[in-house]
Amino acid sequence: MIDAEPVISVEGLSVSYRQGAGFLRVVEDVSFAVAPGEVFGLVGESGCGKSTIALQMLGYRPPAMRTDAGAIKFEGRDLLDLDRAGLDRVRGARIAFVPQNPTTALNPGIRVGDQIDEILAAHGAGDSRVRVARTLDLFGLVGLPAKLDFLRRYPHQLSGGQQQRVCIAMALACDPAFVVLDEPTTGLDVTTQEQIVALLIDLRARLRMSMLYVTHDLGLLSQIADRVGVMYAGRMVEIAPTAELFTDPKHPYTRGLVGSIPRIEDRSGLPARPLRGLLQRHELPKGCPFAPRCDWATQECFEVRQELEPAGAAREVACWRWPEISVPPDARAVSQAPEIDHAETLLAIDNVSVIYGSGRNAFVALRDISLDIGKGETFALVGESGSGKSTLARAVAGLIAPAEGTIGLSGKPLTGLVRNRTPEERRLIQFVFQNPDASLNPRARIAKALSRPLEFFFGRSSEANVQAALADVRLDGKYAARFPDELSGGERQRVAIARGLVAEPSLLLCDEILSALDVSVQASILALLQRLKIERGIAMLFISHDLAVVRMLADRVCVLFRGDIMEIGRRDEVFSAPFHPYTHSLLEAVPTPLKPHPQRGASVEAAGTPSATGCAYAGRCAWQIGEICETERPPWRETGEGLRIRCHHSLEELTRRATWPNEPPTDTQDRRAMQ
Amino acid sequence: MSAETLSAPPGRSTSRWTSLPSLWRQTPLSFRIGLIVLVIHLLVAVTGPFWAPYGFSQMGTGRPLSGMSRVHPFGVDQLGRDIFSRVVHGSHIVILLSLSGTFLGLVVGAVLGLFSGYVGGWIDEIIQRFLEALISIPFLVLALIAIAAAGPELSGNPVLIVLVVALVYAPRIARMARSVAVDIATRDHVTVARLRGESAWSVMRRELLPNATSVLLVEFALRAGYAPVLIGSLGFLGFGLRPPTPEWGLMISENRALIIVTPITVLGPGLALASLVVGLNLFTEGLARILGRTVKLGVQ
Amino acid sequence: MTIFKLVIRRSLMSVVTLLLVSLIIFSMLEVLPGDVASRILGRDATPETLEQLRTELGLDKPAPVRYLTWLGGLVTGDMGQSLVSSRPVEEILAPRIFNTVLLSAYAFLIYLPLTIIPALLQALNRDRSVDHAFSVVTLVLLSVPDFLLATILLLAFVVMLPLLPAISLVDQSSSAWEYLRAMTLPALTLAIVMAVYAVRMLRDNLIEVLDSDYIRMAELKGLSRRRVLLRHALPNALVPTLNVTALNLAYLVGGVVVVEKVFSYPGFGSLLVDSLQLRDLPVIEATVMISAFVYVVANLIADVAAILLNPRLRTG
Repeated sequence: MIDAEPVISVEGLSVSYRQGAGFLRVVEDVSFAVAPGEVFGLVGESGCGKSTIALQMLGYRPPAMRTDAGAIKFEGRDLLDLDRAGLDRVRGARIAFVPQNPTTALNPGIRVGDQIDEILAAHGAGDSRVRVARTLDLFGLVGLPAKLDFLRRYPHQLSGGQQQRVCIAMALACDPAFVVLDEPTTGLDVTTQEQIVALLIDLRARLRMSMLYVTHDLGLLSQIADRVGVMYAGRMVEIAPTAELFTDPKHPYTRGLVGSIPRIEDRSGLPARPLRGLLQRHELPKGCPFAPRCDWATQECFEVRQELEPAGAAREVACWRWPEISVPPDARAVSQAPEIDHAETLLAIDNVSVIYGSGRNAFVALRDISLDIGKGETFALVGESGSGKSTLARAVAGLIAPAEGTIGLSGKPLTGLVRNRTPEERRLIQFVFQNPDASLNPRARIAKALSRPLEFFFGRSSEANVQAALADVRLDGKYAARFPDELSGGERQRVAIARGLVAEPSLLLCDEILSALDVSVQASILALLQRLKIERGIAMLFISHDLAVVRMLADRVCVLFRGDIMEIGRRDEVFSAPFHPYTHSLLEAVPTPLKPHPQRGASVEAAGTPSATGCAYAGRCAWQIGEICETERPPWRETGEGLRIRCHHSLEELTRRATWPNEPPTDTQDRRAMQ
Repeated sequence: MSAETLSAPPGRSTSRWTSLPSLWRQTPLSFRIGLIVLVIHLLVAVTGPFWAPYGFSQMGTGRPLSGMSRVHPFGVDQLGRDIFSRVVHGSHIVILLSLSGTFLGLVVGAVLGLFSGYVGGWIDEIIQRFLEALISIPFLVLALIAIAAAGPELSGNPVLIVLVVALVYAPRIARMARSVAVDIATRDHVTVARLRGESAWSVMRRELLPNATSVLLVEFALRAGYAPVLIGSLGFLGFGLRPPTPEWGLMISENRALIIVTPITVLGPGLALASLVVGLNLFTEGLARILGRTVKLGVQ
Repeated sequence: MTIFKLVIRRSLMSVVTLLLVSLIIFSMLEVLPGDVASRILGRDATPETLEQLRTELGLDKPAPVRYLTWLGGLVTGDMGQSLVSSRPVEEILAPRIFNTVLLSAYAFLIYLPLTIIPALLQALNRDRSVDHAFSVVTLVLLSVPDFLLATILLLAFVVMLPLLPAISLVDQSSSAWEYLRAMTLPALTLAIVMAVYAVRMLRDNLIEVLDSDYIRMAELKGLSRRRVLLRHALPNALVPTLNVTALNLAYLVGGVVVVEKVFSYPGFGSLLVDSLQLRDLPVIEATVMISAFVYVVANLIADVAAILLNPRLRTG
């Protein structure tokens, strides 16, 4: 399989965590190897053990962690046998680590230059002059200003993306043979994510680095990984070269994972249906851990442990049934909801501006926003953090009063703040929050959370009502007696949605409700929302930064940047040329399995605050014309189908510049490859 | 696309009250020891007067200034009183005063703090400044001037002691309650209730208070643990209850002069007081651990 | 906001607090009790003496005027005259404050190593027997009231091992050595009470720092254990330590009251108790005000130091 001697190889690794009085096995008999110059992706959902493996590769063992069995062979030694002094020599110098959260991983009290200098000094890189020169080189390598005064900055003076570049520079400082990256882009913006991934691809090509890239985002790995290992409940279930994993997944779990990824390209007919059910740790069978959720599971699967066996060139699968599984039993994928045209306006937002603070500290969160949401329409609001999308939702909900403009519900203007609104108005608009942990009262049972709005708005509630509400979001009736901390994130989010629906609103405000969830859970909630849309005819203001999800759900889409509308129109229009430059860069930045390398230079890292008069996107726009973008507010450009774009470029120009989506293969070829 | 319903995993709620012995085994060691000590103190407080060998002001029980003996485990003071009996008679005093004073302080402080934290704005600011000023006067000093302010008629009155303890604790508890309220008020489930249009009172009752109980419970235990020390200090300095009340702090002060001759007359009540506080502190630490919180034992 | 503004703003808050404190103290001591004069002189006072006292204290003037005159006096340094000795209050206070400051400094010197060493040992050996042992010891000592501890130490070092004097009466004529001997027991008592509390807090703070992400990152960079501890952990544990120290200073102000009384040390604390027993109103007011002042200033210094040490605020 692998010709050359691997850089590092993991053999039969088993790790347990102390939990209360006993130990919980989190990694079970995992084996794999990484070849020189190879990027090995390790993917799985939260709790699968991938981060534990990443840390073990650096020999990191907190007191609560216990290595039960196995070895990690590196440069002739077993890393798990080394003592602290031995590990100190290897870490940083031969094996390096890029952390998930660069903000907390950097010491807030030490200048960034010194934090790199420290690792150089620890591994004998010469005197201080040599080290400073090397630090400057490293900064240049990772795309940071190679200037002395930049070295003197503290971490909090850098953006998230810059902090991560510093961490990458630290990792590369001593020319390690192997780099472990633990979800390096998870906490970053979509566009920053794209930049960091591009940097890593570039570095890998230039320096021939071997990497272990750990992530839960399968789509991301398609861009950077050579081979991927898929983990489930602590076990390795499949190893395959990246492209093959996406086009021909063999393990049922991998199939489900690939099937769960919302597709941004207009494709239907996926190789598998998305995952169903949940990982229930207390109910893991003796044999294959995936059996309870597997469509092809037999009695033997529940009892017999599955080991990795070869399944082709450079492929291994831990499922004895893999040769038999070729056609999925029921290949109904999560497809797009059909677009519905909505005539009657439910919510009218006219020239709304929201300003935080006052005087010199005034921050314009929303600038002169106007849009309409029709009855029963799903309206998506897209943008990165700081775009003002949450602010708009909060203004509609009545948590903030607009400084200017009006918001009208079914023709009648809504009072700014919720406490001045009528009970009916309050009932008709319901809010679902991003974080399922905080939106349910930990001390109230689920039944209480659902019955309270019923009592409050309708005067009475019964057990039957509660059961019906739970059934609506496909939760079993027994959930009513539980407390929120007994539920998983996905289950809690369903309850939050049920709570919103129970008031029978006409508008549901969903603020990034999927962002805090695992990808397979996202898929099931997405399906739920699609169904509710059709059944209930309820309008939704759906806020998300994830374009793929938006593509699955929305009727109309609005793209926001720094408080200003960049583009607005029906879904299919927005997702096809012409594009606003910002929309285009967002689409480019979405990693998909069939787009191996992203375009670089799609957007420039922003500098300073936007001008109050020009285009909000000026200074970051890759297609910027010049002065005019900074000084003059762009006019609206409108297409025949009602798509509106705010740009100085003409629609023809924008259509000409569009390079998204990539050349799609012809239909028939593609369909066959996916079977 | 699946239309299946998620079935609920086995609930925790049903198994909460299985058996007392297993519940007991799950608690941390500190909690268990603390509870045992407290129970012993409580038993002594309640039943003591019935089995104590002598009355608390009964004189002539033995040779004055005699030391430890089987008849007099804590010795005899210069008035001929049996110190052990006095300690036993006095134990209900300390416990009663500590608990009631702390409880009063908790009620006042919690209501004030929760309200202040939830409401926010300038009301909150004013209340904060006022509380901070009260806290800036050291514990003991505040207690002393409060007693002085109460005047000579009330001196020695146990109710005064209870009020003073409450006065000293209420601002500190209020500050803690306020920060908890501020913390909880930002949570989304409170926003959900506000969006519904629930009244401030309703929100405080349903969303704030249930989530603050564990903090307040720990806070109560913590303060109750120091209260005997405060009361003892007041007694020691002569500002607490009047003789011949067998209050432990007062007794330590009374017998201090005898320390060269019979140290046990000081160490006896001292041991009682210290063991009570140890029990309370252990209990508090254990309780905090059970409720998933950390606690800072100590003076402030 | 610039760091300068932050510090100014914080200081102003302290001033406001002090004003409120003075209001509270004044109200409690002069307004609430009703007739202050009879309170001071007691039940046996004749009407004439009461009248005399009233005019002397200016009790015929309305309360707000009295408050402002008193406040003004505090600021300018004129705190009135002692009712007991007729000497100016400042004169009585000065040597007492001096003694207490000396005692506090001595206590602090003992307290520092007594805190830092056990806390470090505990944090580095978390959950092992050393950690548990110290936790038990600190808990027990914590539960012993300061007056009891003082008495026990007295028993140990005066009665059983006659090393130190039982009574710490010193005055201007005492020599430095006598001062030292007199101060040792009270200082030791204070130091132990403060240390026991601080050790627990410092241990928790150190552990919190040791658990943080950047410590893990430092270890993963291959830095030696010593370097991680000294360069990364300790400096970041400094700020919470400052907080603890401020709180301890605050304790000190109250703690001296009892400890000085036990050892009859002529300091600020015993002055307070004595003046309360003698109902010497001007002295009471002045001493209480000063204790609050020390507390507020101690907290202010701790907060300002925290601001100055926070790189986020330093550079903006």
